[in-house]
Amino acid sequence: MAFQMGEETRTFPITWDVSANKYKIESRGLRILTEGMKDKKIRGIRCHECDTVYIPGPFYCRKCHIEIDEVVEVKDTGTVMSFAVDMADIRGNPLPEKRISAMIKLDDCDAWFIGTVENMDWKDAKVGMRVKSIWVDEPQGKFSDIDHFEPI
Amino acid sequence: MERKVAIVSHVQTKHSSDIGMPRERMLFNLVKELHNKVGITRHDVDSYVLCSNDFEAGRTISTVFEDTPVGAYMKDETKVEMDGIMALIYATMRILSGQFDTALVVANSLGGSQFRPFLIMEYQLDPTFDRQVGLINELNAGAFQARSYMDKYGLDEWFLDAISARLLRNGAINPYALRSKDDATPEYVASSEYYYEPLRKLHCYPFSDGACAVLLACGEKAKELCEKPVWIKGFSNSLETCRLGERELYTSPSTKQAAEKAYKAAGISDPANEIDVAEISAKFAHQEPIICESLGLFPEGSAEDVAKNDLAEITGKMPISPSGGGICTYVFSAAGLINVAQCCQQLTGEAGDAQVPNAKIALAHGQDGFCAQHNSVVILSSEEG
Repeated sequence: MAFQMGEETRTFPITWDVSANKYKIESRGLRILTEGMKDKKIRGIRCHECDTVYIPGPFYCRKCHIEIDEVVEVKDTGTVMSFAVDMADIRGNPLPEKRISAMIKLDDCDAWFIGTVENMDWKDAKVGMRVKSIWVDEPQGKFSDIDHFEPI
Repeated sequence: MERKVAIVSHVQTKHSSDIGMPRERMLFNLVKELHNKVGITRHDVDSYVLCSNDFEAGRTISTVFEDTPVGAYMKDETKVEMDGIMALIYATMRILSGQFDTALVVANSLGGSQFRPFLIMEYQLDPTFDRQVGLINELNAGAFQARSYMDKYGLDEWFLDAISARLLRNGAINPYALRSKDDATPEYVASSEYYYEPLRKLHCYPFSDGACAVLLACGEKAKELCEKPVWIKGFSNSLETCRLGERELYTSPSTKQAAEKAYKAAGISDPANEIDVAEISAKFAHQEPIICESLGLFPEGSAEDVAKNDLAEITGKMPISPSGGGICTYVFSAAGLINVAQCCQQLTGEAGDAQVPNAKIALAHGQDGFCAQHNSVVILSSEEG
């Protein structure tokens, strides 16, 4: 039997205002990453116990549960580990053209970076393909300093 | 044979109105402190029960960013979005089930510096009626409750001042307390401003940053890990309707029911004489007598007599909240768990100047919701029994 809404069932508009939230972060890893990006460098933090390299670098190793602080530079080239062909933006609004969003394992890094892959036909995209970072001309120290990735 | 569960160790932060660090750092430091104290690593913990609030943390499933700082990477983990004492009860049940030998309970809030908890409370109101009326927040609902108790027993505001003064003095000997005053008097409390009359600033909890972690283990494991396990002898919780208009605010039937079940499990028949010390989650001064009376620790309507005869002092017949309770610190999500930690200090003889002599049985209470809608009771003992 199909569910039937009751005669007295109504929808009711309510608001959730949580705008006053002051969110604290430990900024070192993000600062190291964004400062490096001004010089077109990508820097993370390596765990001296298990050698995992994180980007952005946390203050502790998630696996070893110890404090870590060794800053390391990773390459701006990498390998596509997985990708999606986006028909819509993150809010579900249709995109005028298909877009490849990809998880990219940068060389010398363990955590995956996320970016778009451009200048290729989406039908040719493959897991395992090699890509390089395409930087903006004048980096500002923002995530958007890497404009996109392209196949090598 | 039925399993037993004991508390191995506990740690808490020095609570503050702004602890000055992100949640992840606060929790990492806290849990590392506990590891060092017990001599374990994260690999010695089987199960994790975390407690925090999505609204206050500013992200849904608030604990996802807290799991790895507390060492729960690739571990059994679950979350409670109520008071931390419920997380402790949940962890106890997980050990009782036989699935796990150890469990770490961690509760936290940045309710002082990140997001004021009384703003969250608005979202606990029925959005189609109580919230629409636009007249109720947590503080003025507290005032309704205070006046209900005063009217029922013909009391004036003096007992509120006396309760807060006692708690502020207790807070002065608790190194973790946020607010305190070693020479607080009822007159001093009565000189603080009214928020929602009859409630003054010093009758209300302070907005608090802080965290608490408690390590539980099954009986055998607890004895291996520490010299003085604190045994969990009984626990229960009960809740009333979310509609203020359908409750008698001067009393707490949910506390009474939770206590009766917890007492039965712990074999307690005369709580006022058998319990040596109680840590009560009272967000407002008037909630302490309402809860204590429903726990059977004092007669109904006795708040003024209790204060005049110093019965609830650390040296009194029934010491209540030697830590300074909710008037000195109220860490949203963690308050009840902090009460458990304070009780443990009493039972292991580590409470310093706040020590109740020969404390063997302690009661920890936790609450949630408007006017303590939901109440939990845990009975702890220094003796395995």
